[in-house]
Amino acid sequence: MSLTVADSPTAETGGGVATVASRARDWADRAPRQVALREKDFGIWQEFTWERTWDLIMDAANGLLALGVEPGERVSIQSEDRPEWVILDLATVAIRGITVGLYPTNPAAEVEYLLTDSNATVHFAEDQEQVDRALEVDAARLPGLRRILYTEPRGLNSYDDPRLMYWGDFLEMGRRHREDSPGEVERRMAEALPEDVMTLVYTSGTTGPPKGAMLTNANVDYAMTVITGDTGLRGAQIPGPGDLTLTYLPLCHVAERIFSTWHLVGCGVCLNFAESIDTVVSNLREVQPTLFFAVPRIWEKMHASVMIRGGDVTPFKRVWLGLGLRMATVIGREKVSNGGKHTPMSWLLNLIGYPLVFRALKERIGLRRCWHAGSGAAPIAPEVLEFFIGIGVPVYELYGMTENSAVATVNYPGRMKLGTVGEPYPDIGFRIDEETGEIQTKHPAVFAGYWNKPEQTAETFTDDGWLKTGDVGEWVDGTHVRIVDRIKHIIITSGGKNISPSEIENSLKTSPYVKEAMVIGDGRKFLAALIGIELDTVGDWALRRNIPYTTYRDLSEKPEVLELVQGIVNETNEKFARVESIRKFKMIPKELDHEDGELTATQKIKRSAMEDMFGDLVESMYS
Amino acid sequence: MRGRPKLYTSYIAEAQLFPTRVQKILVVVGIIVLVLMPFDLPVINQIPIVRFLGDNIWLRLVNRMLIFTIAALGLNILSGLAGQVSLGHAFFMGSGAYTAVLVGGKGSANLWGWGLPIWIWLPASGVVAALVGIAVAPAAVRVRGLYLGIATLGLVFIGLHLSRVFPEIAGPGALGRKWPRMQFRLWKEEDPLVDFSRDGDWLWFEASKNQKTYLLLLALTVIAAVVAANIARTRTGRAFSAIRERDVAAEIMGVPEFRYKTMAFAISSFYAGVAGALLAVLAGQVPPESWGLLLSIQFIAILLIGGIGRVSGALLGTFFVVLSPRFIEEVIDWMKEQVDHGGILAGVFDILISTGDGDGGILAISETALGYPLPASALDELVYGLLIVVFLLFEPMGLYGIWVKVRNYWKGWPFSY
Repeated sequence: MSLTVADSPTAETGGGVATVASRARDWADRAPRQVALREKDFGIWQEFTWERTWDLIMDAANGLLALGVEPGERVSIQSEDRPEWVILDLATVAIRGITVGLYPTNPAAEVEYLLTDSNATVHFAEDQEQVDRALEVDAARLPGLRRILYTEPRGLNSYDDPRLMYWGDFLEMGRRHREDSPGEVERRMAEALPEDVMTLVYTSGTTGPPKGAMLTNANVDYAMTVITGDTGLRGAQIPGPGDLTLTYLPLCHVAERIFSTWHLVGCGVCLNFAESIDTVVSNLREVQPTLFFAVPRIWEKMHASVMIRGGDVTPFKRVWLGLGLRMATVIGREKVSNGGKHTPMSWLLNLIGYPLVFRALKERIGLRRCWHAGSGAAPIAPEVLEFFIGIGVPVYELYGMTENSAVATVNYPGRMKLGTVGEPYPDIGFRIDEETGEIQTKHPAVFAGYWNKPEQTAETFTDDGWLKTGDVGEWVDGTHVRIVDRIKHIIITSGGKNISPSEIENSLKTSPYVKEAMVIGDGRKFLAALIGIELDTVGDWALRRNIPYTTYRDLSEKPEVLELVQGIVNETNEKFARVESIRKFKMIPKELDHEDGELTATQKIKRSAMEDMFGDLVESMYS
Repeated sequence: MRGRPKLYTSYIAEAQLFPTRVQKILVVVGIIVLVLMPFDLPVINQIPIVRFLGDNIWLRLVNRMLIFTIAALGLNILSGLAGQVSLGHAFFMGSGAYTAVLVGGKGSANLWGWGLPIWIWLPASGVVAALVGIAVAPAAVRVRGLYLGIATLGLVFIGLHLSRVFPEIAGPGALGRKWPRMQFRLWKEEDPLVDFSRDGDWLWFEASKNQKTYLLLLALTVIAAVVAANIARTRTGRAFSAIRERDVAAEIMGVPEFRYKTMAFAISSFYAGVAGALLAVLAGQVPPESWGLLLSIQFIAILLIGGIGRVSGALLGTFFVVLSPRFIEEVIDWMKEQVDHGGILAGVFDILISTGDGDGGILAISETALGYPLPASALDELVYGLLIVVFLLFEPMGLYGIWVKVRNYWKGWPFSY
C-alpha cells in the first residue's frame, strides 16, 4: 500500500478540515487490520489494529463529551509514552479540544504551573506518581479541572479525591455516551476549522517559565505535508504502513509528536512504544525500526556503548571489530564528503564490512532495518554522525523548533553536509537576518502564538511578520545552514570577543566521559567551564584502573579523573582559537537533574539556574 | 513478527521450541537422517558419525543409548527441572521392568506372568513405576537435598530385597528370568504382527532386528523428548523450576509444593519405568542386581556430563556415557594392534598397555595380564569418575554448557555481551 499524505482525503470525504483525528479515521476505514500501535505488556508486544485504535479513540472522544469538554477546552496529559497518550490526544482533537502535553519528569511545582496556565479541564495522569503531582496542586487553584484520569490503578485504591477516574471506566462511560447519543463526535469533527488550536506545546524554557505554543490544525496539516511529503525530510522516499518506529521520547515534545503521532496518522507508520527510556536499547533490538529519530544524547550514548562494549571483547573479536570500525571510519568520511552517498571506495569497503561486522553490529544496536534516522533538538558531534553513517545507519541532522512546527531545515539524503542542519525545505519562507544573524521563518506552519501571552507572542515576530527563532545561523556554501548558537547564549568576553559556547560545549561532550559542559566567560577575561562526568563510562573507566570511589561527587573529584578531563579539555582547546580556549574548569559536584531545576525537561542546561547554584564554583575559577 | 525474531506478539510465539524456519528445517532434516541412518543408503552413510553408528555392530549400542535417553529424560525432569536429587532411578526402572515381565512374560508353575502384548505391558510398566513414584514422593516433601538422595538410595536396596522375597516375579536364580520378546501382537495370538526380535521382512523391505528395534525406539525417544521439552515450557515446568530454586518460596508464591513434587516423581518414574521395561526386554534376561546403585549413578553421570536441566543435555550425556566405553575399547584395540604390528607410536603405546605376562604397562588388556595394575575393563568407570570431577569443577553446565558458550560467542558477535 502506498497511501500518503498527498492522497489522504480532506474536506470531501468526511467534512471539516483534515485534522490528525480525521486522518486516523481514514486509516481505520482504509486499513482496519493494519497494526497501528504496539505496546509491550507482560513481555509481549500487544498489537492495536487501526480498527481497534479508532474504536478506542471514539470511546475516549465520547468520554470527553460525556465530561462536557467544549471546543477549545484543554485536556492535559502527563504520562510516559503509551497508547493512551496517542488515543487521548487524537480523541481530544476529534472533539476540537486542545491537547496539552506535560513531561513525565515535570516536578509538582511545574505541574501546578502548567495546569493553571493552560487551565485544563481533564487531566490524564498515568499512575500514582503523576496523580500525586496533580493532587498536590491546591484544588482551588484549578477551578476548571473536572477529572483526573489514571490508567495504572496500582496504589490508588485508597485515594478518595472525587475528580479521580480510572481510564477503563472513562472508556466505558464513553461507550455508553456513544450508544446514547451517536454521531456527536462525528459532528464535532465536521465542524473542525483550520484555525482551531489543536495542541499547546510548552517550550522547555531555558530562560523563564515555559510558554505554551499554540499549534493549529492548519499548522499541523502544513507541517505534515512538508515533512512527510515527497520533498519532505526523506527526499522522494515516503514512509508507509510497512514502516515501524520506536516511540520513546516524550510525546509532549514537538519532535516525538512529529515522528510518532503525525507519522502514524500521516503515513500509517506503526508506532512501537518502548517500555521506558531505560529499555530503549533492548526494545530497539526487538523492534528493529525502519525509521528512527533520536536526540544527540541518545546517539552519543549508543556510540559510547559500542565503543565500550567493543573494548570489552575477546582478542579475536577485538581485532575483527577494530578492523570493522576502522573501515566504518573511512566509509563515514567518504560518504560524508560525498553528501551521504557512497563513493566507489566506500561502496567497496561496505561490501566487505557489511557481512563481517556492520550487519551484526547494526542488529545489536537495533538499527539494521533503519533506512532513515534523524537527529535534532540539539547539535550533534560530527564524529558520532560520521560513525553511524560509516556503519550504514543513515542519520541526518535536521532543525526546527516548536514555534514553527519543526519546519525549517533538513539534510536531504544524498545532499547532506556535516556540521550543518541542512537546507531549508523548498517553498518555505526562510531567511537569516543580515544584521543579527538570526534565523527567521515564515510559512503556514508557524504557530498562532503563545497561550495567554500576547506580549511574548509579539516579541517573537518581526515587524514584517517573520518568526524570530532566537538561533544564530550562517549559510554554508549558500545552500546549507549552520547553527551557531542561541542568541542569548553568545558570550562576549571582557576583551570584546564574540564566542559561541555551544560549539565548545559540544566538542567537550563528544567525549563519552563528559555528560554536561557549560562554558562561562560573559564579561570575563577568559573562558572557564563547568564539567559533569558521565557516571557510567567514567565509573567503568575507574574500575578498570582500580580506582575506588563511592559517590558521583567522590568520583568526579578523583585526581585521575581530573587528569582525564584535563586531557579532554586540552583536545578541545586545540580545535579552537586561542581566545576560545578553556583556561580553567571545575567539576560539577552532582548529577544534574530536572527535578532540582538545573535541567529543562529536555535535558538542556538552565544557565541561569546553574549560575545561581554553582556561583561559588564559577567565582573560584576567576579569583 | 517476520524478520524480527525478538518481537513477540504472543506467548505462543515466544515459547516456540523451534522459532525460526531454519531451525524447523534442520529438525526435519535431522529426523530424516536419523530414520534412514541404519539403512546403508548412498548419501546418508557418508555423514561422519552416522556412517559409523549406522553399522550393525554399533546399532545395538545405539538402541541401548536410546533407552538410556528415555530414562535420562525422566531423571532430568525430577533432578534437573524440579531439583530433587534422586539416587533411586534404578529402582523405578526396575519397577517398570518387573511390571513388564509380570504383565507380558510367560507364566509357569513357579513364575508369575500373564503373557499380555506389548501395548499393554509397556504403558503398564510406566504407570506402575509412576504409582511407585507417587508413593515415594511424600518423602521428598519432608527431606531435601542430600538427605533426599540418601532416602532414595534406600529404595534401591529395598528393591533388591524385594527381588529376593518374590522369586515368582524376579526369577529364582541370580541370573533372573526371561523377559518377553520385543514383538507386537494384538492379543495372545501365535504370530506377532511385527517382530522386532528377529531379522526379516517388514512391510515391504528387508530389515534386521536391530534396525527394526532402532526405529521403534527412535520413535519412542522422540516422543519422550518432545513431551519432556513441552513439560519444561508449560505451567507445570515453571512450577518445577520454582520449586528447584527454592521450594519454600515457591509455596509462598502459590505453587503447591506437595502436588508438584509428587507430579515430578510421577512423571520421572513413568519415564524410568518405560525405559526399564525396554532395557530388560532388549537384554532378554536381566539379573536383579543390575537395578542397583551403579545404574543410578550412571544416570547422574549422564546428567552432569551432558548438562543438567536441559533436554539436549540429557541427549548429549547419554550419547557420551553409553558410547564412550565402546570408544575406549576401540582405542585400546587400536593401540594393541599398533604394538603388535610395530606402528609409529608402538613404543609409546607399549608403555601404556600390558599385553601379557611379562609386559609392563598401566593398562592390562589380555586375560593373562588381568588386574596387573589396572584391567582395561575397569577403565571406563575410571573415565566416568574423572569426567564427573572435571565437569563439576570446570563446566558445571556439562556438554550443553560448552555448547552454550560457543553459541553465545557467536550470538554476541561482534561484542562479548
